[in-house]
Amino acid sequence: MSIMDHNGGSVIAMVGKDCVAIASDLRLGDRALSISSNFQRIFPITDRIYVGLPGLGTDVATLRERFRFRVNMYTIKEEREIEPETFAHLVSSTLYEHRFGPYFIEPVMAGMSKTPSGGYKPFIAATDLIGCLNFAKDFVVAGTASSKLYGVAEGLWEPDLEPEDLFETISQTLLNAADRDAFSGWGAIVHIITKDKIITRTLKGRMD
Amino acid sequence: MASADGGAYSYSLTVFSPSGKLVQIEHALAAVAQGTTSLGIKATNGIVIATEKKTSSILIDDSVIEKVAVICPNIGIVYSGMGPDFRILVTKARKSAQAYWKIYGEYPPTKVLTQEIATVMQQATQSGGVRPYGVSLLVAGWDSHRGPSLYQVDPSGSFWAWKASAIGKNMINAKTFLEKRYNDDISLEDAIHTALLTLKEGFEGQMTEKTIEIGVVTVPTAADLEEGKIGGETGRPKPTFRKLSEEEVRDYLAL
Amino acid sequence: MPGMVSMTQPIQQSFNPYTENGGTILAIAGADFTVIAGDTRQSEGYSIQTRYAPKVFRLTDKAVLAVNGFAADGNMFVKKVRQRLEWYRHAHAKDMPIRAIARLIQTMLYARRFFPYYVYNILGGIEEDGTGAVYSFDPVGSYEREACRAAGAAQSLVQPFLDNQIYFKNQTPAAGTAFPKHLPLSTVLPLVIDSFTSATERHIEVGDGLEIYVVLARNSTALAGLQSLRGVQEVTGTNDGERVFVIRRDLKKD
Repeated sequence: MSIMDHNGGSVIAMVGKDCVAIASDLRLGDRALSISSNFQRIFPITDRIYVGLPGLGTDVATLRERFRFRVNMYTIKEEREIEPETFAHLVSSTLYEHRFGPYFIEPVMAGMSKTPSGGYKPFIAATDLIGCLNFAKDFVVAGTASSKLYGVAEGLWEPDLEPEDLFETISQTLLNAADRDAFSGWGAIVHIITKDKIITRTLKGRMD
Repeated sequence: MASADGGAYSYSLTVFSPSGKLVQIEHALAAVAQGTTSLGIKATNGIVIATEKKTSSILIDDSVIEKVAVICPNIGIVYSGMGPDFRILVTKARKSAQAYWKIYGEYPPTKVLTQEIATVMQQATQSGGVRPYGVSLLVAGWDSHRGPSLYQVDPSGSFWAWKASAIGKNMINAKTFLEKRYNDDISLEDAIHTALLTLKEGFEGQMTEKTIEIGVVTVPTAADLEEGKIGGETGRPKPTFRKLSEEEVRDYLAL
Repeated sequence: MPGMVSMTQPIQQSFNPYTENGGTILAIAGADFTVIAGDTRQSEGYSIQTRYAPKVFRLTDKAVLAVNGFAADGNMFVKKVRQRLEWYRHAHAKDMPIRAIARLIQTMLYARRFFPYYVYNILGGIEEDGTGAVYSFDPVGSYEREACRAAGAAQSLVQPFLDNQIYFKNQTPAAGTAFPKHLPLSTVLPLVIDSFTSATERHIEVGDGLEIYVVLARNSTALAGLQSLRGVQEVTGTNDGERVFVIRRDLKKD
């Protein structure tokens, strides 16, 4: 079995009108055996950047620590918070350092980036396990249910969804895709990020 | 063992003198003070850095000399002191800027690059078998976080920001001149003009477009910024630092 | 040295009798109609063999068979099913009812249990009681009647979308209301088209064209709405009352 499928789990991020959403399931398994229904794989980087790390569980923890270290050093040295695009490049270069012995993670990022005029613009990005960046305008998906997430998202997403509508759309996308994937599910969590607040909700879904 | 010139304490870098000095650094500063004058002035909408391009013989092909150097699209530096040491530092600064770009996909802010260069220079004051760099640098750059900024870096590795400064042979007179002429609202055009006047004060010989070098930092307009960080065809961001061509320098001198 | 294969172990060579020709099929059952659709692209690896190779075939006025997987097996299988249906017609003086066709397909597939037809079949049409029916099969004949099913290259993309939109999975109805058990044709057809445009976007083996077969029961309420659509072609063979229509649409060719 592929190493990327060993623990299971999936993440999706979507762009809305002046907001972004990022969501993941909560399952951690050991092949077919489910172990945890509480496994966090989405982490805040700054008030306005969240990163989701689907893939091998041990690498989730390690990468989370590596990014925290590098972003802290950046914040202290530059005396400012890192921007989403800059963080995306940091993720890419960190993964490429291990080009021939990679981390088994395909990160997904969502955030609000500052525009030159002082406003905020929605931002999402994803990379493969060796750091190839994808700056999508609509949505990005990763994990064991990625093909299912692509299918449902392509059917349900439309541009300029308000935060409440984006929440419904991303939730339905994640739940229905995870229900067709044996290795994703067992709970779900959704973060809606706007320029001044973040709303986090856990979803009621099938626990099988 | 201690004497006016440092005595035995002045030959090893890794040894403090009783008065708490690293005498080698003092000597390095002396080397800088012998170098041709350079200056930098920060304006509201940019920065100008300039230096004398003094050649020891008319037979030298001065078009090959580069005293104002581009490090990355948004940062340039000028020096006073030993040319070869400057060359090495420029190479290291450029590599440092590219290393930053490889990680973050964008060029470093001025302060960060200045810190990197200063670290390199400091390492040459606390290692065995090396000597300090015999240059002081003026680093001028623009970034979205702080806007235009001008830093001076000394052989010791210490650095600080200036609104206007001069280094090298004529620095004291030049700084006095600048103190009188500088105000916080000065525009880039006026700053260039003032820079030329300041250089002229201590200039030995004819000041022409061939005997001075000028570098300029401009502030991008909102339109430039909205266009995005990537410049269309080349993939490089639009430069905010550039060297003035000989024609441009001549036009400014004519004013 | 490059190019020199290790001579320590012999490598067994063999002929692979199967190949994958891509494409996707889908069927949805309504109260008095069934929709059976398939894209028309046939590919092998990164190459497109043809932009128009039908995968959905009319068996009778009540039954339409969609076949997907290995095209050679698919085409041959349809031929053989049609042959059996003709023999039945001669022997019994009537068409085979759809649930019998389904069982027949099972036996035909299982007969090749040890060298299977590499096809995923979806049989759609009208049951003897006039309701819409969809039967889906695996390559060796395991089958089940369902309300909707997607199969083929983009199955993993389309099926969860259908779960949400047809079965209303993970949705709760507004207070005091309930979700409809069957959707009307006017809702189902756009869902089919959207499923295929979405699959075309995200899966390289899906695209070029879409062929939708609509089988209507006698006196189906969907008839009026159907005839007002553009590009609808009737392919009904008999006068028993059931009617079969084909709707063709373009899909992205990249």
